[in-house]
Amino acid sequence: MEGMARRIQIQSIALFCVLTAAASGQTGTSNVLVSYGFDDAQLATGPDTFAVFARSRGTVRLNAGNRLSGYRSVEIRDVAADGDFPELQGYFAPRSRGKLFLHFAFMTATPFEEFNIALAGPQWFSLRKDGIGFWLKTREGHLCQVSDSMPKKLLLLEPFVWYVVNSSYDIDQGSYDLIIHKEGIEKPVVSLARQANASNQPGSAVDKFSFIGDTNEHKSNVAYYVDDVIVGIDESIVHLPFVAPGRKKLFIDYWSEAQRARRSRPEPIDPVGLSDFGIRQKEMEALKAAALWELLLRFINGQAISSEVPQEASIETRQLLQAVALWGEGTKALRDQKPEQALKRFDEAAALVPSAKIYSMNAVLSLAALQQWDLVDERLSRIYEDWHDDLRFPPAMATIGLARQRLDEVEQRLRGPAEQVPDEIGQDLLRRLHGGAMTPELLQELKRRFPDNWGDYLRDVFVAEQYFLVLLWKGQAADAERFAQRMTDRYEALGIPSARWHERMGDAAFVLGNFSMALEKYEKGLGHEPNPGLLVKLSDVYFRLGDMENERLYREKIYGTIGPE
Amino acid sequence: MVAQLRISRSRFLLLVVMGFVVGSAPEIALGIDSKAVQAIVAGGKFAELKSLGREVLPVMARLYESSDTAQRARVAEAFYSLGWKSAEAKRVLMKDVHTPNSQLRLQVQWALGRVSSDADVVEVLLNNMQHDGNPLFRDKAACALASDQIHLTEQQKVALFSGLIQALGDSKSDVRRIAMLALQIQTGQTKGFNPDASPAERDVKVREWKVWLEEYKSNL
Repeated sequence: MEGMARRIQIQSIALFCVLTAAASGQTGTSNVLVSYGFDDAQLATGPDTFAVFARSRGTVRLNAGNRLSGYRSVEIRDVAADGDFPELQGYFAPRSRGKLFLHFAFMTATPFEEFNIALAGPQWFSLRKDGIGFWLKTREGHLCQVSDSMPKKLLLLEPFVWYVVNSSYDIDQGSYDLIIHKEGIEKPVVSLARQANASNQPGSAVDKFSFIGDTNEHKSNVAYYVDDVIVGIDESIVHLPFVAPGRKKLFIDYWSEAQRARRSRPEPIDPVGLSDFGIRQKEMEALKAAALWELLLRFINGQAISSEVPQEASIETRQLLQAVALWGEGTKALRDQKPEQALKRFDEAAALVPSAKIYSMNAVLSLAALQQWDLVDERLSRIYEDWHDDLRFPPAMATIGLARQRLDEVEQRLRGPAEQVPDEIGQDLLRRLHGGAMTPELLQELKRRFPDNWGDYLRDVFVAEQYFLVLLWKGQAADAERFAQRMTDRYEALGIPSARWHERMGDAAFVLGNFSMALEKYEKGLGHEPNPGLLVKLSDVYFRLGDMENERLYREKIYGTIGPE
Repeated sequence: MVAQLRISRSRFLLLVVMGFVVGSAPEIALGIDSKAVQAIVAGGKFAELKSLGREVLPVMARLYESSDTAQRARVAEAFYSLGWKSAEAKRVLMKDVHTPNSQLRLQVQWALGRVSSDADVVEVLLNNMQHDGNPLFRDKAACALASDQIHLTEQQKVALFSGLIQALGDSKSDVRRIAMLALQIQTGQTKGFNPDASPAERDVKVREWKVWLEEYKSNL
């Protein structure tokens, strides 16, 4: 941990928010000193909360793909031979006596790559009194604890499996109890009592925690994930459950919370990753190299204005930053019910960085607020491919549906005879459209083939989907299920692929708590090329059914798995 | 090829400014001129040295071998500053690990653990710590063992710990004291060992440390 100490002595703390700095909660009035779920509320970094170091090629960022609870975890990714390491470092009020309770979850994609997790005191991350108190590290694929100044093997790590660590740390005695649960296993995989702390020092104070890659040699290419970090003085913290239902949030929980949070008035959707802004590894490195990383984060947090973009930056970098600044202005305008202004900003941002998917979706939401339905449908069809598997898409569609109103017209159309399209080419186009294979190219073909009424066909597809989601939104899940059944029947009568409507029937069944039915419908919806969103739902429904083996099978189809090296 | 790809912009500029072209003269090894390196070392501009990449290490080793005592001390300090493993650096530094010249000896002892994790480096430093006639050299060897063995793996630390624990039983009190300090810096604890306690009391604590070492080994 020499590196950690060195870093802190330099005191060049690069504070920044991880994306929208969304870490939920922190020091409160209760017995909880620190609580980060990385999901909901906004929280700026700082000396009383946490700091993120990602100075070289390593990164610390929110991750929506791998999380234990909620919608996000923090991903810490180290890069070997880059001369530095990424770090998430958190602070709390110093404790020099009594007991401290620690709870957190981690999952690694790379068990044979080193990472370190530590609780330390005013002497920072060194082995000494008031230095490191609690220290977990990996060695040759094993998780080890450093106790009595020596690393001791605890367990062989499995990739892509969550482990939950609970520890009660006795500051006065200089010892701790340690319980580690592994995902899917009821009994703890580690259960140790009265372990000497890292340097066997009674009375060693603690006031900070840290998650990093490796320390000295810079050989680690680790990618690991951290969720639900809680430090407190209440013993109940170490009794937090693990795989109990309700602990793990499912796709439907995102839906329900969005439903509670949103009104029918379209509002901008929030970003969940830098890729939403078209910022990937290459762009991140360019921003860091140009010393503009912190400015980017200030833009994301609404703490800077577009005129702050330096003129000497490269064109690409300027465009990235200007687009984020415009997005911030658009977001504010839409929330302030100024959709025209918002639309202008989002469109300008999208023109600057076309690969940033959030600008276009927020432009569609602005158009919905302006009731410009033809444009909403056309734009939706252009971005549908990028969005239809995104957790944020159904709530966005429901919001659009609520704003659109008169959705029940779709029911009227269902009562009429199935529409007949005169030629094979037209039928094929409509099959693809209704089957969910919506792309800009398909839109062009539709316009060519149906120059007078292509918009009607498009609207039918979107309105049906929005109607279904609005029924769910309003708590009419049984009606939603029946509507999805009628849509399925209709599609099958027309010879159109009905997999998406089977999936929606599954959604309604899930909401109604009929998990066996949901499973049946999801399996019917799988098709030849199952979408990742459906695999998430299958994983979730198996979780609800208590089938952890299949829960994992489908989860790994999405997130992958690797064998031991 | 890899080495050439690693040439950073600053390094490239440095070479251009100095008028060097890769392979244009036999004395310019891998495109790095030893005179330029000598100037950088003399100026203590170690960040600049680092920007030249690891290819600078053999150049520095040759410079070390061809230098007088004062310059060898500066090169040793530069090796220390880089902290890169290097067989060439270790080879040349080991030649001076018993030099009576204070300035050079201290720099060599400090640098060795930062260029190598070989067992003979720990061994020679342990030997200097216990048996060198000069107390200053003994003390600084202990400093090097405490803080500068940066490349040692957990397995390799067994020899270090074993040597330090053995030195707790040394007949010289200053050796016992510095061995304890080095062990404390490495592990964060003393287990109550007092270098000035009676032999019997010291023996009890040394046995505790030996038990600890056995447990350490059993966890590898």
